[in-house]
Amino acid sequence: MPNALPSRDREGVGILNFSWATACKIAWRESRSSSFKFLFVILAVAVGVGSLTGVRGFSRAFHEMLLSQARTLMAADLSLRVFELPTPQQDSALAALSRLGVDRTWITETVTMASASVEKPPMLVSVKAVDPKKYPFYGEIRLSPPAPLSRALTADTVAVSDDVLLRLNLKVGDSIRLGGQPFRIVGEVTYEPDRMLGTLNVGPRVMMTRDGLDRAGLILPGSRAAERFLFRLSPNSPGIEPVRERLKATFPDALIADFRESHPLVTQALNRATTFLSLVSLITLIIGAIGVGTAMRAHIQQRMDSIAIMKCIGARSSHVMRIYLLQTIALGLAGGLVGVAFGLVVQRVFPSFLARYFELEPTAHWDFVTAAQGIGIAVLASLLFTLPPLIGIRRIRPSLILRREMEETKPDWPTRFAEARASLLAGATILIGFAGIAMSFATGTPRDIWRTGEYFAGALVISFTALSAVAWLMLRVLKIASRGKLPASVRHGISNLYRPGAHAQSVLVALGVGVMFTLTIYLVQHGMIAEMNRSSPPGMPNVFLIDIAPKDRDAVLDLVKQQRGVEGAPEVIGTVAAKISSVDGQPVDQMNLKGFARRYRSPRSVTSAAAMPDYVDLVRGRWWDSASGAPQVCVDEDAAKILHIQPGSEMRWAISGREVQTRVACVQSIDSVHLSSRVEFIFNTSALAGFPVIYYSSLRAQPSTVPALQEALYKRFPTVTVVNIADVLQIIQGVVDRISQVVRFISMFAILAGAVILSSSVAGTRFRRMREVVILKTLGATRWRVSRIFSVEFLVLGAVAGLMGSLLAGGFANLLLKRMLDAQTSIPVVPIAVSVVATAFIANAAGWMASFPILGQKPLEILREE
Amino acid sequence: MHATQCHNKKLEVHPPRSDLRAPAIQVSGLTKSIPTATHRVDILRGIDLEIQLGEFVAIMGPSGSGKSTLLGLLAGLDTPTSGQIILDGEDITGLDEDRMALLRGRKVGFVFQSYHLLPTLTAEENVLLPYELTGGNGSSGISDGPKRARELLESVGLLDRRDHYPVQLSGGEQQRVALARAFMVRPPILLADEPTGNLDTENGKHVLELLISLNLREGTTLVLVTHDEALSSRASRRITLRDGRIVSDERENAERATEPRP
Repeated sequence: MPNALPSRDREGVGILNFSWATACKIAWRESRSSSFKFLFVILAVAVGVGSLTGVRGFSRAFHEMLLSQARTLMAADLSLRVFELPTPQQDSALAALSRLGVDRTWITETVTMASASVEKPPMLVSVKAVDPKKYPFYGEIRLSPPAPLSRALTADTVAVSDDVLLRLNLKVGDSIRLGGQPFRIVGEVTYEPDRMLGTLNVGPRVMMTRDGLDRAGLILPGSRAAERFLFRLSPNSPGIEPVRERLKATFPDALIADFRESHPLVTQALNRATTFLSLVSLITLIIGAIGVGTAMRAHIQQRMDSIAIMKCIGARSSHVMRIYLLQTIALGLAGGLVGVAFGLVVQRVFPSFLARYFELEPTAHWDFVTAAQGIGIAVLASLLFTLPPLIGIRRIRPSLILRREMEETKPDWPTRFAEARASLLAGATILIGFAGIAMSFATGTPRDIWRTGEYFAGALVISFTALSAVAWLMLRVLKIASRGKLPASVRHGISNLYRPGAHAQSVLVALGVGVMFTLTIYLVQHGMIAEMNRSSPPGMPNVFLIDIAPKDRDAVLDLVKQQRGVEGAPEVIGTVAAKISSVDGQPVDQMNLKGFARRYRSPRSVTSAAAMPDYVDLVRGRWWDSASGAPQVCVDEDAAKILHIQPGSEMRWAISGREVQTRVACVQSIDSVHLSSRVEFIFNTSALAGFPVIYYSSLRAQPSTVPALQEALYKRFPTVTVVNIADVLQIIQGVVDRISQVVRFISMFAILAGAVILSSSVAGTRFRRMREVVILKTLGATRWRVSRIFSVEFLVLGAVAGLMGSLLAGGFANLLLKRMLDAQTSIPVVPIAVSVVATAFIANAAGWMASFPILGQKPLEILREE
Repeated sequence: MHATQCHNKKLEVHPPRSDLRAPAIQVSGLTKSIPTATHRVDILRGIDLEIQLGEFVAIMGPSGSGKSTLLGLLAGLDTPTSGQIILDGEDITGLDEDRMALLRGRKVGFVFQSYHLLPTLTAEENVLLPYELTGGNGSSGISDGPKRARELLESVGLLDRRDHYPVQLSGGEQQRVALARAFMVRPPILLADEPTGNLDTENGKHVLELLISLNLREGTTLVLVTHDEALSSRASRRITLRDGRIVSDERENAERATEPRP
């Protein structure tokens, strides 16, 4: 009789020597029979670890590449960027450096229109003019067909990126027109080391020589162009620090970077992206860990008898716990190991998402730190979620084997309360554990790190509470609905969801999390684009003409007015590049300017007007009576606030190397619909007389007529750049798409993990299912019938998970868009429908993966096993 | 509820089928062997058998004599190594799995030793299952399935527990639900594998009384595998197996089993 056996250890009883080794042995024996069931759990963990180590491995490889190839990525030891040409003094300073052995090359970057021929529609391209004999100092430009840049590029040739060829329907050897001049395409640029660092880089690339740039006539005084100087030190030249300091002194407004910094902006962006993607991966890993927890709970439940027997023959709860603890660790380890291998694959796929924007080739390689981190987190996560069932082992009484019938009775309230307290404690531990892991991913100040932990834990609680509540509600509704008049297969399928050990709720949560994440990202991405499209109100210009030479100004405007589809008169402003030197005697370089306000240290586009335009609202002060007289300026409200400018203030300017002193006459504000709102300083006409002017124009045209306008303008004024807002939106959309693609790629793993959890749950109920299939067959059910019942179960489960995931995603996305963009709320009907259907199919596939062999079972084999 | 109460319930009583029709079960030259790692195990070594409609046959024999295998083969739950089985005039040898399942649904009721109710369905749903699996009204000739399920549950004394799930029922209760299920579509043949084997004496007796009385009312051919002498003594025919062969086949009180009680 079992109750005659000691329920506690006594000295000398064999089981007292219950070492870890014994526990190991029993754990191994025990798990052999459950290998199929655990296979899926291991996979679920592996998916999470794979995405985590993939992201982090890639990030580390990227960091290492930045460090090791710093000179190559800059193509120089030092780079200096300005938005205007050097003054004679600056030129002589550069020449002095050359004499000291510091080699230098000059790069100009700008945007312009290019076309295959005069008749063909043009497109916006980013031009980079280089000296192919010197550039790049480090690394190389790779062309296809292969050729050294120094030989390939001449004043008549260009090298272009693949998208130029694609969109203009050109091939290498063809002619392309830039600024009205033909250039022969000598090759496709396949690798450009310093692309990451350039400005105005979003559009497709056209690389040419300086002679070519001059021939095309793309740069006029005042044109929107970035000038970059690259420097290479020689052994005889001064060190990098003195050179940098001399440059800083000569070009106080320039952006100077040297290779030692390994690109602070890129590094910072990379760190942030890594943290974010790691957290998304962590969610996937949490789903996997929930799987471990659920599987262990079911496993322990099935082993209640064995546990009771072990306790009867003298095992302590702690002994039994050891067995299942070891199994959990083994599952976490196995999942971690498989995941690390999987992560290498993810790491390889990753660069393809970013290749378009970063010229990078980080090599995917085995990284011990990332792998160890991934495995460690897998084990920790598995342990955290297995905590509740492990603690539950203590409650299994040895007497259980004597009174099986009592198993289903509900415990009394004090017991339930005690259990709830235990699970709350376990929940808190889980939460703290994951907040800790999340914090380990964060970078930045301690405050940032704390905040990451807090937010992650908060989001975790909110998401899982919401999902669990919705899952519970939906299961309730289903249960009630299934009592109604439904076909028998459907009813049986639905009732399968409530089978003991089916874990419908945790499967729903696991699958729902993935759907929620992926869809939220999709909806936010689309919401942003839609909002951008929507929020250009009628009357807002949708075409901008850039870099109109003074001689072309009137002809361009005439041509525009004759074009079909142009609404209203185009707005034109002439601008001059001017840099603020000081305000009321205080040099602008010494002002405490932060963030975007630092733009006032660089040259700004300014304009002039005689009479006050009707769209200007005077905030303070008075407009000048006559356009002539002493230089005066009217300042935009925001600029006035940042620079502490009042009517009557004195401002000093540097314009084309000349000093100009102005008195502030007024503070104004302009409705952002107007082009002039982009110009913050309006001078009186005489103040800017004699300076090189470049004209900008904005107009509104019916979207369908814009290509014709572009073509007409390009034919007569090839140097005028026409920016179609639709094109700009397309470029922004491209960037947003790319980012969300990466995030979705990572968040898709969460869906995968959820599907694997479903498989695991189905595999866990395999024996029960097998028996039921056999009973059904004995009672006359065909295989088709049985498969229908199962399919209904999986499809309903998937559809419900898809529905709740997408409903919550819709809610979250609306909330985010409302917060970020003040966007209109909408119900994304199509995405929800697609998610529901897709999740149902994924669930069906996952369910069948774990139950296919069951269908073919011969009834007698199973019935005899009873 | 007790079996005696069942006699008062209004249950449709069917006369036994005419003896002029083909036998309910015809078995000839039936063998079954299973290859194991080292050798072949012959479980059945040539069984020839004819069971008439309405007969109540007990199959006896020691463990390993092949009685459960024989029953399984009769139900088409496994394929014989050789030989032929004809159920209610239909040759089932060589039927594929699905056709066999359909035939079983129409012609064979089954009662297992360990009940085998579906845990995900309530008592009533379990009873209704064969009716639903055979496609409702069409083939089973039962016009109102749910009504019949409730009548059957009432006759086994479990109508008030029809919404309970199997885990909420005791072993005896589960077996009574299984009995009701077996009779649901009025199968001409009922096969029972040690139906009282897992029950204590009292519950076993109760279930047996129910089985016999339902069998009489429904006019079913009953083949029952059992160890229990007391149980087999109620049968109209006792077949004893040993080492895969029939060693005795006795008929007694043939009239008792085939004649319905008033």
